[in-house]
Amino acid sequence: MGGDAWRLRTGLAILLLLALAALAAPGVAALLGVDPEVPDILARQAGPSAAHPLGTDELGRDILVRLLVGARVSLAVGIAAALASTVIGLAAGLLAAWRGGWVDAALMRLADGLLALPALPLLVLLAAMDPAALGLPRGGALSDVLRIVLILALFGWVGVARLARAAAISVLARDHVRAARALGVGEARLLRRHVVPALGAPLAVAASLAVAGAILAESTLSFLGLGIQPPASSWGNMLANAQDLVFSAPMAALWPGLAIALAVAGAMLVADGLRPRSG
Amino acid sequence: MIPEMREAEPLRAAALALLPLLAAAPAAAQGRDQGRDTLTIGLSQATGTFHPNIESMAAKSYILGFARRPLTGHGPDWRPLCLACDVFPTLENGQVVLENTPEGKPGMRVTWRLREDLRWGDGRPVTAEDLRFAWEAGRAFETGFGGAEFYRQAYEFISPDPRTVTLRLDKVSFDAGSAGGFEPLPAHIDRAIWEADRRNYRSRTAYDTDTTNRGLWNGPYRVTAVQPGAGVTLERNEAWAGPAPAFRRVNIRVVENSAALEAQLLAGQVDMIAGELGLSLDQAIALERRARGRFRFEYRAGLVWEHLDLRLDNPILSDLRVRQALMLAIDRPRIVAGLFDGRQPVAATSIHPDDPMIDKSLAPWPFDLARAQALLEEAGWRPGPDGIRRNAEGARLTVDLQTTAGNRSRETVLQAIQGMWRAAGVEGRIANQPPRVLFGETLSQRRFQGAALFAWISSPENVPRSTLHSDEIPTAARNWSGQNYPGYRNPEMDALIEALPQELDAEKRRPMWSRLQAMVHRDLPALPLWHRADAHVWPQWLEGVRPTGNMSPSSLWVTDWRMR
Amino acid sequence: MARMIAWRVPQIAATLAILSLAAFLAIGAMPGDPISLAMMADPRLGPADVERMRALHGLDQPLLLRWWAWATGVLRGEFGYSRLFARPAAEVLWPALRGSLVLLGTALALAAGLGIGAGMLAALRPRWRGAVDAVALLSQALPAFWLGILLIILFAVTLGWLPAGGAPDAGGVAEAARFLVLPVATLAIAHLAAYARHTAAAMAEVLRAPWITAARARGAPESRIAFRHALPNAAVPLLSILALDAGALVSGALITETVFARPGMGKLLTDAVMGNDHNLALLALLLVAGTTLLATLAADLAQRGLDPRLGREG
Repeated sequence: MGGDAWRLRTGLAILLLLALAALAAPGVAALLGVDPEVPDILARQAGPSAAHPLGTDELGRDILVRLLVGARVSLAVGIAAALASTVIGLAAGLLAAWRGGWVDAALMRLADGLLALPALPLLVLLAAMDPAALGLPRGGALSDVLRIVLILALFGWVGVARLARAAAISVLARDHVRAARALGVGEARLLRRHVVPALGAPLAVAASLAVAGAILAESTLSFLGLGIQPPASSWGNMLANAQDLVFSAPMAALWPGLAIALAVAGAMLVADGLRPRSG
Repeated sequence: MIPEMREAEPLRAAALALLPLLAAAPAAAQGRDQGRDTLTIGLSQATGTFHPNIESMAAKSYILGFARRPLTGHGPDWRPLCLACDVFPTLENGQVVLENTPEGKPGMRVTWRLREDLRWGDGRPVTAEDLRFAWEAGRAFETGFGGAEFYRQAYEFISPDPRTVTLRLDKVSFDAGSAGGFEPLPAHIDRAIWEADRRNYRSRTAYDTDTTNRGLWNGPYRVTAVQPGAGVTLERNEAWAGPAPAFRRVNIRVVENSAALEAQLLAGQVDMIAGELGLSLDQAIALERRARGRFRFEYRAGLVWEHLDLRLDNPILSDLRVRQALMLAIDRPRIVAGLFDGRQPVAATSIHPDDPMIDKSLAPWPFDLARAQALLEEAGWRPGPDGIRRNAEGARLTVDLQTTAGNRSRETVLQAIQGMWRAAGVEGRIANQPPRVLFGETLSQRRFQGAALFAWISSPENVPRSTLHSDEIPTAARNWSGQNYPGYRNPEMDALIEALPQELDAEKRRPMWSRLQAMVHRDLPALPLWHRADAHVWPQWLEGVRPTGNMSPSSLWVTDWRMR
Repeated sequence: MARMIAWRVPQIAATLAILSLAAFLAIGAMPGDPISLAMMADPRLGPADVERMRALHGLDQPLLLRWWAWATGVLRGEFGYSRLFARPAAEVLWPALRGSLVLLGTALALAAGLGIGAGMLAALRPRWRGAVDAVALLSQALPAFWLGILLIILFAVTLGWLPAGGAPDAGGVAEAARFLVLPVATLAIAHLAAYARHTAAAMAEVLRAPWITAARARGAPESRIAFRHALPNAAVPLLSILALDAGALVSGALITETVFARPGMGKLLTDAVMGNDHNLALLALLLVAGTTLLATLAADLAQRGLDPRLGREG
């Protein structure tokens, strides 16, 4: 158990550190006197210097500050997508377990269908759609984040729903819950008092995994040119933009790649640490 | 902030330790140099159909350049020339004759004589019957050939002997001799297929069902294997009577991801990268800095005009002063120097500096921030508290900026422009879209609101009717046909565009072209950026490749390619 | 079990039908149909030409009718023509499917072998647990395209040991295997972690079970306990991962295929969807979804066979 606590602490420390770094972005930008979105095309791909501790990217922008600003976007995508998936999945899973019958069958076949779909080509299809058609504003990092979160949640809820359903079914089958039900305890109260608390740990695990998955998915969409649009930075689009020149300026690709790996590892450690070890 | 930096230290050290390994001199396989009879070419686009007349794709055009002769083309010097014919038809040599149509309209009669030694790969000569089949198939609309306009005009086909073909056209045009996409098709193979089912010919043609049939190919090479989406193998065509090409076999490998394409070049898996469809310019420049000794690089500014189409019915952009200010605020020489090593000529208009009809007296708009600011002031846009200008009603001076998502070079340029406009107090809002969305809807159905960065590809002395004539503004009523996306309307331009093709005397066309250039230079329906340069990357041992910079790919002259 | 099959197979068929309709509508709703692309290529197409071309391609019909025509065609075994590749759709599909089966088959076999081995190691030898965890963590945290490009830079460009991508023109199995090493490594690394984690967790749980303690008390050797008793029982939860990976086997790996320029289903599907190639996209989609659904059913059946405790949750 000590090892698990260590995992949880390390994971949380990594995520906290990244979050702090994200918060520090404006400060660092001010300190260095650089604007992360204004290109300086005469200072492209400069090596590390006092003014640019990690050098500059393909447009002469400071890599360090863009990494820090990008942390906000990437972490926001990860956390928002995980939250959305969890909320939708929890609702669907509880509904399926509680109602049973055709509601259960329909929801679970929908889940099967979504799991059976090749996710990436469909993510690409959805990402290529005009955000205006989805009722989202066009342009701006916020609308990109919303779009990506929405798309990821569309696929992400499935896992949570299955988890929630399985857990809810087993809780509802316990003797004391059945007894409470027989005594006429209200359904809403039953779910709230008995089912939801029992779901806490597995949901937290699923949510942490979803954070990791969403951060990776954002980088994949960016690789395909469908992620966060420039000039806003995210780790995914920094990595994608660096790939054309990866042979002449490998460092520009190395940093965002490491940042993604670190954040994903942090989220997975948290998930590991939270995972109940049943005996 | 300082703790983070320290946190980054060990990582940085680790990364720096990795760096020498990553940047070490490429030790890639170079042992294949001896006895080379195969040339492997990397291409960044796959091709679908191999039929010369169905769909136009740059990758197909490049591959077919090795394997078949079109009737005519433009040489590396941009002059029109015969490829499958003897002499390019002109008024002077009598192969173009002015006449009236049976209805009494002015028309013309153009004659081509096929080269005597041109044969299909199965040994049969290329004859007038092959052109007759192409003409008939092109005229039948359901076949679905490109260049419908040309076939509509060519109302009569006359062939006095197997090598001579005359078409009667119901319109007068100075470039009738180049025949559009009209070229011999193997009647002995495809005619029966076409006659059996014209509607489905496009999916039954032997070019796609039996691509390796020798009888389809009349060029120096023929297609011997196809890996759909991945590559094509070409081998010497035994029936080719012209000078023999140097390589027994040419492999075309499709690698769509540009970093992967560069990796395959560095690893020695592809010998060269086609300039027509290869590395982006900045990628090639970066590669040249590191691998100058291993490869030869040539940059050719082609007929690919990068520009920003402006939506002229946007109230902000309808003001000429604003358009001119936006133009003046872009420091194009700086972008070209910074991003493209000065390899792309800054454009004055859509007309290329090497085009015979360029008006050299017209200088490109300079970069002049002060003048841009003055023009914006004059137009009523005054600096706001955040540096973005506002008009009397308090509206911000915001212009949407769009380009093709995934094209890193364009995305980069767009961000540079955004930064430069900001200095003039203009806010550019970037919203890039995948090419399919941008071209398939946003532009073609005129849904864009501000400026869209993309390129037009054309041929030398191409009359820009589809982009500048007011009849060509896409509307729902016209099925969105036309490419005048900005919505430019100018009666003088319309008249000029109608008169230009009918003027057969090149010297009389010159002042008309000058007038056209002066008008677009002043009115700025689109902000010209530069003419894009293709980056050709060849191995040191290859010579004789001549980039054309026009729509006739360099592969048409493969018989000049030699090993050093 | 027969009842379960009778109940689930019609559900799978209905799911596929609904999926194909949804995909048809989604692709049809995307901007940029074949005509608008033809218009880009040939500016001299007039309004009347466009009209006639729409009719020629059947694009003037409502989407629902076009879907019906497509679906009845598929039932008759006519898969239609791929617009993008100018070949019959089925003919385009096979080479891509073969490519994916080879690439992912090798990678997943490798990942499963190494992953299960590592998971057992972690469960049986606690001092290895940290190392296995670290490897699993790292392998899941690296973005696939980044890892792929790093491998290319190191092994193909700098060291020149292995090809950077593509497929060999000629040569036997050995040459083909050389081209497989880097893409397989990229994929196997990404998939390894799931096997390692699940095996470790399942084994740990089984090893704590009373009957294992009983076996130990009887003096059964540790290796026999591990392989004969623990592993088969730990395999039950692994089945569902295997089922989903069976789907991956046919759906391909878009990123790896792109970075290494190998033909495969991931790239094919994406190109077909983005290129408005209805026939090809739907055929590929149905193949992938059908395989995954059937594999899930098979896994559920197997789980039920192995573990009779599973009730409604199956």
